[in-house]
Amino acid sequence: MCGPEDTVFLVDDDPAVLKALERLLRSAGLHAMAFGSAQEFLERHDPEAPGCVVLDLSMPELNGLDLQRILAEREPARPAVFLSGQGDIPASVRAMKQGAVDFLTKPVNDDDLLNAVRHALARDRATRTQDADKAEVRRRLATLTPREREVLSHVAAGRLNKQIAADLGTVEKTVKVHRARIMRKLQVRSLAELIRLADRAGLSAPPED
Amino acid sequence: MADTHPISWITVIWSMVASACLTLAGVYFIIGLKQKGRPASLLFSLLALTMAAFAGFEYAMMRADSAREFGELQYWIHIPVFTGTLAVIGFTQAHFGTGRVWLAYAACGLRGLADALNFLSSPNLNYAEITALRHIPLPGGETIAAAEGVRGPWAAIDDWALLLTVAYLADAVVSLWRRGGRDNRRRAALVGSGILCFILIAAGSAILIHAGILHMPYLISLPFLLVLLVMSYELSSDVLQAARLARQLEISEAELRESQERMRLAAGAAELSLWLWDIVKDEIWTMEQGRALYGISKDERIDFARFMETLHMEDREAVRESVVQALQGGGDYEGEYRVCLPGVRTRWLAARGRIEFDGSGEPLRMRGVSIDITRRKLAEREVQKQRHELAHLSRVTLLGELSGSLAHELNQPLTSILANAQAAQRFLDREPVDIGEVREILGDIVEEDKRAGEVIRRLSLLFRKGELQHGAIDVNMLVEDVLKLVRSDLVNQGVGVVTTLSPALPMVSGDRVQLQQVLLNLVVNACDAMAGMDRTEREIRIETGTAAANGIRLTVADGGRGIPAEDLERVFEPFVTTKSQGLGLGLSVCRTIVSAHGGTIRAANNPERGACFSLILPTLPERADVRA
Repeated sequence: MCGPEDTVFLVDDDPAVLKALERLLRSAGLHAMAFGSAQEFLERHDPEAPGCVVLDLSMPELNGLDLQRILAEREPARPAVFLSGQGDIPASVRAMKQGAVDFLTKPVNDDDLLNAVRHALARDRATRTQDADKAEVRRRLATLTPREREVLSHVAAGRLNKQIAADLGTVEKTVKVHRARIMRKLQVRSLAELIRLADRAGLSAPPED
Repeated sequence: MADTHPISWITVIWSMVASACLTLAGVYFIIGLKQKGRPASLLFSLLALTMAAFAGFEYAMMRADSAREFGELQYWIHIPVFTGTLAVIGFTQAHFGTGRVWLAYAACGLRGLADALNFLSSPNLNYAEITALRHIPLPGGETIAAAEGVRGPWAAIDDWALLLTVAYLADAVVSLWRRGGRDNRRRAALVGSGILCFILIAAGSAILIHAGILHMPYLISLPFLLVLLVMSYELSSDVLQAARLARQLEISEAELRESQERMRLAAGAAELSLWLWDIVKDEIWTMEQGRALYGISKDERIDFARFMETLHMEDREAVRESVVQALQGGGDYEGEYRVCLPGVRTRWLAARGRIEFDGSGEPLRMRGVSIDITRRKLAEREVQKQRHELAHLSRVTLLGELSGSLAHELNQPLTSILANAQAAQRFLDREPVDIGEVREILGDIVEEDKRAGEVIRRLSLLFRKGELQHGAIDVNMLVEDVLKLVRSDLVNQGVGVVTTLSPALPMVSGDRVQLQQVLLNLVVNACDAMAGMDRTEREIRIETGTAAANGIRLTVADGGRGIPAEDLERVFEPFVTTKSQGLGLGLSVCRTIVSAHGGTIRAANNPERGACFSLILPTLPERADVRA
């Protein structure tokens, strides 16, 4: 699914190719932004803007693979689709290993390009959504008091209220109250949901005693 | 007659004289037979023969028993007197040629008259009557007879005839001496004086005997010994001279034969021919071989115009010019040209000549040699063709190394054309259709197609193996064209190019394709040289500018490891390469191409790092500011 604010970033040193690709994407209803060099792209694009990048393999100064490496180090990693005028197998393997969505050869067919772009945008969206989710969970977890966090880890481990009370040196009633508060703060309605959320946040189980 | 003496010395002497005369008569007769048209020897032979007869007559007269016998002998002696006189006068005239002819005829005429009268007289011309025979005693107990008597009525004519003969001979000999010259004087001295002495003694004594003053036998054959001596001496010198001349002639002939043989051998071996042009008469002589070379028939007269006709049309002007130049003072002529023979393929000849001038500097003749160089020319053509093929092969190999780059150059316009077209298709599916956008797209497609066409055109020029095409070439444009070709490769290898091109450079004459090949080769080599270096240090510097003495300089410098000093020349040799997969022909072909353009190419190391190749090409001689 592509949202209207998704941008396809085009990076190629050939202005005619840039213009044509931008046109093609536009004719398919996508929003594209063109850059004449990797340097220009790095300096002027908005890292927060959702979207993918379509880049030419061989460019002077900074080439496609180098750019891909730089992008991979960032959060969130922007999915890349490679275009190349030369069938360079080692380069293509490197690109795929470094996580490219696809490696296409020029002259590129519109369907092939659009499919790859859509995949990339979807992946980007999925990543962003995942990241957003993760951020939300962390935010919610941050609203818990230290005590509540402790109780949560025991609950996530599957222990009974009675056991938790015994572990923490308090009564069952108190534990129940904590539990209710946790569930309200974290906005979950069942234990299963609670455990899933805990998983998503990456909370580890407390050490077995 | 004394029978008691063993053998009379008179007999001995007169016999010896007679045989000597006969011998020489025989020798000169044989010589005379071989000398048709030169009667001197025959005449002398006759004279000698006559003298032999005289000797016989004298002996008989000396031994005469009776007056009557004496008278008869004296009667018949006039025959040899006549033949002898004619012979001596004839010989002198023939041998010397200096006597007065009228005097000769007069002497002969008078002699003839006298001898004719003799045959009408009795007992003979000299005596009307012989009264007695005096016997004169001689040493050794010999006696000889001498006549006494009345002189004949016409005896004086005899004496006059004798005097005229002496006069003629004296005059002839003196004239010869007067004529001067070593040879003449020698002959005058020797032969002339010999004959003169002989005739003086003979005639003189005869006259005196006839006058009755001297009483002795005729003394004619004895003094002739002088002449015999002289003539023998002459004969021996002639014989020796002849032998020497014959020997010399033999040697000369042998040398001549040798020389002719050598010439024939040389001419035959090298298919060459000698010729000689008589400039004054405008006539050309040449060996038979020469006629064959030029296709001129055996008896045809050759002059300069005819020679010109044998030449190929296109070569005539150049040959005429060289000849004119040589005639006007150069003296030496050199040329190469084609001759067209009917039915035969074109023949190449090389000619060389030298002019001989006379005292006032006017050309007299030109001597020279022409050689058939067809084989050499064909071989040269063959070599040229092979060089051409090699350059092409090298070029194609070079382009092969760039194949990735070349594919990329074509793929770019193809990519934009495809994307544009497919975008246009989508735009056309929309409602409403944005015609403006579509029109724009089509415009861009056309542009990109042309761009692709350019790339293909440039490439196909490099790939073809056509004939060299010489034109005016802008070196700066050459650099830009080549850089366009290799752009993708440079990008791929991360190599940067810095160009410093002098503006408004004069044009160079040459073949664009070949010069591109050279520059391409240098750039590719530069890239390869920096393959192992750090990306930030990969830079090629290309510069153009003027060089001393009407030249353009083009340098390609890289930042690689450079070339070892001892290899700076070697790199241009064939099969020298540092690449693991290279033939090593690129630079040697480059040098061949640059040389053919009249330029030079050299390798050097940069002061900081890397190698630098400098190309110097001569500029176009004419207007250097006009662009092609």
